[in-house]
Amino acid sequence: MRKYWEISKTYMKTQLAWKADVIFNMFFTVTKILFAWLLWGIIFREKERVGPFTFDGMLSYYIISSFLSQLEMSGGISSEIHDRIRNGTFSKYMVLPVGIERYFMAMELGVVLFYLVFDFLAAAIWIFVFQIRFVFAADWKIIACAVVIAVLGMVFMVQLNYFLGLLALKYQGIGTFLMIKNNLAALVTGSIVPLALFPEVFLCMMRMLPFYYVTYLPAMLLTGLCREEAVTGLLAIGCWCLVLQFLIHIVWKNYIRKYDGVGI
Amino acid sequence: MRKRVKKNMRVLKELLYLRFHGLVVFRLDFFGPFFVDGSLFFIQLFAFEAVYSNVTTIGGWGRGEMILYIGTFSLLNAVNMTIYFFGVNGIPDKVKSGELDLYLTKPVSPLFRLTFEHMSPGSVPLILMSVCMIVYGAGHLNANSEIVRVQEEAVRQFSDSRLVGALPAERIAAYVFWVLIMEILYYEMEVLMRSVSLYLVSMARMEQIEVAGTDLCMKLPGIAFYGIYKVIFYMILPYGIMATLPVQSLIGEMNWRLGIFGVSIVLVFSVLTVVVWKRGLKHYNSASS
Repeated sequence: MRKYWEISKTYMKTQLAWKADVIFNMFFTVTKILFAWLLWGIIFREKERVGPFTFDGMLSYYIISSFLSQLEMSGGISSEIHDRIRNGTFSKYMVLPVGIERYFMAMELGVVLFYLVFDFLAAAIWIFVFQIRFVFAADWKIIACAVVIAVLGMVFMVQLNYFLGLLALKYQGIGTFLMIKNNLAALVTGSIVPLALFPEVFLCMMRMLPFYYVTYLPAMLLTGLCREEAVTGLLAIGCWCLVLQFLIHIVWKNYIRKYDGVGI
Repeated sequence: MRKRVKKNMRVLKELLYLRFHGLVVFRLDFFGPFFVDGSLFFIQLFAFEAVYSNVTTIGGWGRGEMILYIGTFSLLNAVNMTIYFFGVNGIPDKVKSGELDLYLTKPVSPLFRLTFEHMSPGSVPLILMSVCMIVYGAGHLNANSEIVRVQEEAVRQFSDSRLVGALPAERIAAYVFWVLIMEILYYEMEVLMRSVSLYLVSMARMEQIEVAGTDLCMKLPGIAFYGIYKVIFYMILPYGIMATLPVQSLIGEMNWRLGIFGVSIVLVFSVLTVVVWKRGLKHYNSASS
């Protein structure tokens, strides 16, 4: 366990090397909030409520959703694995005395812990700048559930990106597919508009998929909505993590033999 | 002048041939931009469908106007991806590596070659998809909008030869005009952003600004901006007017003041792009830039 904590610490320190990046990443979270502020500002001029949201509830949802999606930085794992398999340098990870998946988990933990402070600061600044009357859940059990779901959601995303990266062992180019996945993820995690505004049929379908629990459900729970889904959400995302771990095991076992270490 | 155009057309033909040849080697990559950007704009449509299932209008724009807006932005982006994006996008790397030297020594304008050398024929379906979106959006325009009123009036009163389908021909012509000049503005913004690499070591921030600006404005029409946001996205980073003005010209919301403003912005950015690019080339010190 200690060696993984060392990996996390190394990645935490690495982030400090690009100080300007940290500031700019923090600053550009404003676009999501600005989008919500302008779009919903116009809509709420004519309406008191849209779906289950008031204006402040909607903006609070976007603040939390933006905070969680900023923290979810595992997208780079799949492209890192994909590129290294294609140019033959994936062997770097195979010779390390650590589990490769756990290495990426530790790396993600280090990055997330570092950005946690800055993203929290950014969220607080935008609440102040846009003068949002922040709506937040009052029940500590719901808050705890939301935090655990969000953490499991991040674990799931690391697993998913690791799994997709490993597919490069079998398929030559998955770069295009990864970009399409990023586009789709923005919709199905409720980053563009809250899923609660979609028809009930679509929402039922989304509940069966893991993305519903990555950003959307924790954000809804933290704004005091969807309380009845807290426990089922926890179980669902837990099950998805187990299913994906099983898939990773199968893909690794079958495809690692195809890796020749010289690039494609 | 005629001779120069003729020469440039010959170069263009040759570049297109070379690009086609290179792309078919990597078959999956051929349609990559179509799948990636196509999914992006379909997702926007889907997201706004969800919003419109809860509200009837956004700032006076109904579902049809919003589909038209997304379709228009998609069209601007599609032409960008097909013709010049991959060429212009490579400018900073070429400056950094000193590869720009090769372009400066060739008997053709470096910007011309950079613009057209990486055309992406695989993005052409994206243009067709955008046109379908626009036609679909035009068919779903808000029943209260002026264009519908004009259409109904025109159809009711007389069968006019100037009507194309059910849309007044002048509006279509105005729309095409605005799309064309906004495409020029899109191109100028891309060149301008990347010309910074001729002056500075890193231009990662400029790319971040560009991504943030386009990402926001492809989701949000210009009618939503006000105050300082309007100044930023109409005049400083004019992504906010790129699809808004063509749509406004089609739905009858365009007035002469807005028209003059739009043309002036394109002219100002044209001059700015030429000046920044030309001065940047003088500033360029080969591989040590």
